[in-house]
Amino acid sequence: MTNRERAMNILHFRPADRMPAVHFGYWQELLDEWAAQGKIPADLAEGNFDGSAKEAELDRLIGWDFNWYRTYGSSNHLAPGFETKVIETLPDGTRRVQNADGIIERIKPGITSIPSEDDYLLKDREAFEKLYKPRMQYMPGRVDLEFYSRFNEIRPYDVPVGLHLGSVMGNIRNITTVTGMSYLLYSEDEELFADIVDTYAEMQYKCAEAILQTGAKFDFAHYWEDICFKNGPLMSPAVFDELCAKHYKKRNDLCRRYGIDVISLDCDGVIGKLLPTWVENGVNTMFPIEVGVWGDQFEPARMKFGKEVLGVGGMDKTALREDRAAVDREIERMRRLASLGGFIPCPDHRLMPGTKFELVQYYAEKIKEIRP
Amino acid sequence: MSILEEISENLQKGRAKVVKELVQNAVDSGVDPETVLKEGLLPGMSVIGERFKNNEVYVPEVLVAARAMNMGAQVLKPYLERAGIKAAGKICLGTVQGDLHDIGKNLVKMMMEGKGLEVVDLGTDVSPDTFIRTAIDQNCQIIACSALLTTTMGVMEEVVNKAVEAGIRDRVKIMIGGAPVDEAFCRKIGADCYTPDAASAAEAAAGFCASMGA
Ligand code: B12
Repeated sequence: MTNRERAMNILHFRPADRMPAVHFGYWQELLDEWAAQGKIPADLAEGNFDGSAKEAELDRLIGWDFNWYRTYGSSNHLAPGFETKVIETLPDGTRRVQNADGIIERIKPGITSIPSEDDYLLKDREAFEKLYKPRMQYMPGRVDLEFYSRFNEIRPYDVPVGLHLGSVMGNIRNITTVTGMSYLLYSEDEELFADIVDTYAEMQYKCAEAILQTGAKFDFAHYWEDICFKNGPLMSPAVFDELCAKHYKKRNDLCRRYGIDVISLDCDGVIGKLLPTWVENGVNTMFPIEVGVWGDQFEPARMKFGKEVLGVGGMDKTALREDRAAVDREIERMRRLASLGGFIPCPDHRLMPGTKFELVQYYAEKIKEIRP
Repeated sequence: MSILEEISENLQKGRAKVVKELVQNAVDSGVDPETVLKEGLLPGMSVIGERFKNNEVYVPEVLVAARAMNMGAQVLKPYLERAGIKAAGKICLGTVQGDLHDIGKNLVKMMMEGKGLEVVDLGTDVSPDTFIRTAIDQNCQIIACSALLTTTMGVMEEVVNKAVEAGIRDRVKIMIGGAPVDEAFCRKIGADCYTPDAASAAEAAAGFCASMGA
C-alpha cells in the first residue's frame, strides 16, 4: 500500500495496513538548531520548505512518510503587487516600508523575523475601487496552464497531493490587517467589506476552475485561513457565515464535480465556532487542530457532525520537546482518536525550536505501529 | 434616554463620530466632564468588555468600540486635565522583546483605559530593562507583558527577575498574557497575575490599583 492509498483509505473509512507518519513542516529556527546540533546536514536547513526535495530528504532521515501540505495552486495575491518602497526612516533607524499588499510595515534594525504592521491602504471604497479591485481580477498569468496540463505525468503518486484553493477570509485579513479588517467591517459603506470578499473569492474560484479544467488530478483540496486565536474566531461567527458560506460552497461544489471529496482547511487557534460554516458548506477535513497551545480538540467536532468531519492533526507537538514518556502518552491518545476512523494524526502545527530530533524520529516510528 | 446612556449605547455600536459629537454636546450643555467619562464612556466600554469575555462580541466590535471611546476621551482630555482629575492607576504595558504581535496588547490597553486607568504603551519588542526603567521613572503600579510566541514568553521571566534585582518587586505587580501563556506558566515564573482575555486583564488591573491605594 502506498502512503497515498493509506491516507485516502483512512479518510474514507476504508481499511489501511498502518497509519502513515504525517507532519506539517518546521519553523526555520528549528532546522537551524538541528543543523547546529549536528543532527542534520547543514544544507538540509536551507531551502527546506513544504514539498521540496530537501524536505523529502529530511523526511527519510526522520522516518516521516509525508507532509500534508503538499499542495499546488495559483498565484492569488494582488496582481500586480504594489511597489515596495520606503516611506520614511525614523530617528532610531526603523524604516516604514510599503509592501506588495499595500501594508505599511515597520522594519526595526536588528530584527530578522517578519515585520510589524503599521498602516494599510485599503481603508475605503475609493481605495478598493481604484487600487485593489483591478489587482484582484482573474487573469491568465495566475494559473500556469502549461504546468497543469502536464501535471498528471509529473505529480507523485505515492503521497497525497492537494489543490490549494487559497482562502476566503485569510488573505483579506493579510491585506487589511486585523485592525483594518475590523474597521472595514464597520465601515459606513455597509456593502464595502462584502464587495471585497466577493471580488477576491470570485478570482480564486476562477483560478481553481482553470486548474481543474486542465484535467489535473488531485487527492484533496485545501484552504488556508488562520482566522482564529486562543479564545475563538477573530470575527463574529454569524458575520463570517454571512460573508463566506456561499464562497466555500461554490468552490467546494466545483471540487466535488471534479471528484475531489476530501477538502481540508488550515486554521490555527480555537476553531469550533466556525466549524458549522465550514462543514455545512463542504469543508470536511480539519487541519492542524491545535491541541498543545490552546487545547482545541477533534472529538467534539466528530461528536457534533459525525463522520462528515475528518481530521488531520491533533497531536500535541509540545510533547516532542519533552521526553519519550510524553510522546508515548500522545501516541496512546492518537491510537484512540485513530480508532474513530477518518482521522490521521499529525503534529498540531509546524515543529518549533526546542523540539528534540530523536523524539521526532521516535514518534514517526511509533505512529506507524497504529493499525487504523 | 439620557445623553450619558446615549453615549454608552453609541460607543458599544462603535459609532465614533456620533460619540464624539455627543460628548461635546454633553460638556457644552454643562454636564461635568468627569461624569461624562465615568457614566458615559467607561460603562459603555465595560459592557463591551464583558460581552467580549463571554464571546458575544468579537475582536472587530471591541476595536471599533475602543476607537469610539478614544474619540470621546480626546474631547474630554483638556477638561479633565484642567480639573486635575487623575487616573485610577498607572500601568506600563508592552509586547516583550523579539515579539511584534500587538493586537492583543492593544485590546488590553483599550480595556484598561476603559476602566479609567492610565496606560504607558511601550509598544512591541520591549526589553526587560525598558519595562523596569519605565515602571520606576513613571511610578507605575503594574507592569503588564504580552507575548504571542512560545519563543518569546521566556522574556517575561526575565522581567520578573529584573524587577527583583531592581528592588521594586514588592511595589509593582506583574501581569502577563498572550496566546501561549497560561496560569501554570504565570506561577512558574513568579508573576502575579495571568488572565486569558483583555476584559479580565483590565478588571484585575483595576483591582490591584485599588488595593495598592493608587
Ligand atoms: C495576526 C497574527 C500575526 C500578525 C501580527 C499583527 C499584529 N499587529 O499583531 C503578523 C502577520 C505580523 C504575525 C507575525 C508572526 N507570527 Co503570528 N499570528 C497572528 C495570529 C493569526 C493572530 C494573533 C492575534 O492578533 N490574535 C488576536 C488577539 C486579540 O489575541 P491575543 O493576542 O491572544 O490577545 C488576547 C489574550 O491573549 C489576552 N492578552 C494578550 N496580551 C495580554 C497581556 C496581558 C498582561 C494579559 C493579562 C492578557 C493579554 O487578551 C487578548 C484579548 O482578549 C496568531 C494565531 C493565533 N492562534 O493566535 C498567529 C501566531 C501568534 N503567530 C505565530 C507566528 C509563528 C508568527 C511569526 C513568527 C511568523 C513568521 N514566520 O515570521 C511572526 C512573528 C513576528 C514577531 N517576531 O513577532 C504563531 C506563534 C506560534 C507559537 N507557538 O509561538 C501563531 C500562534 C500562529 C501559529 N499557530 O503558528 N502574526
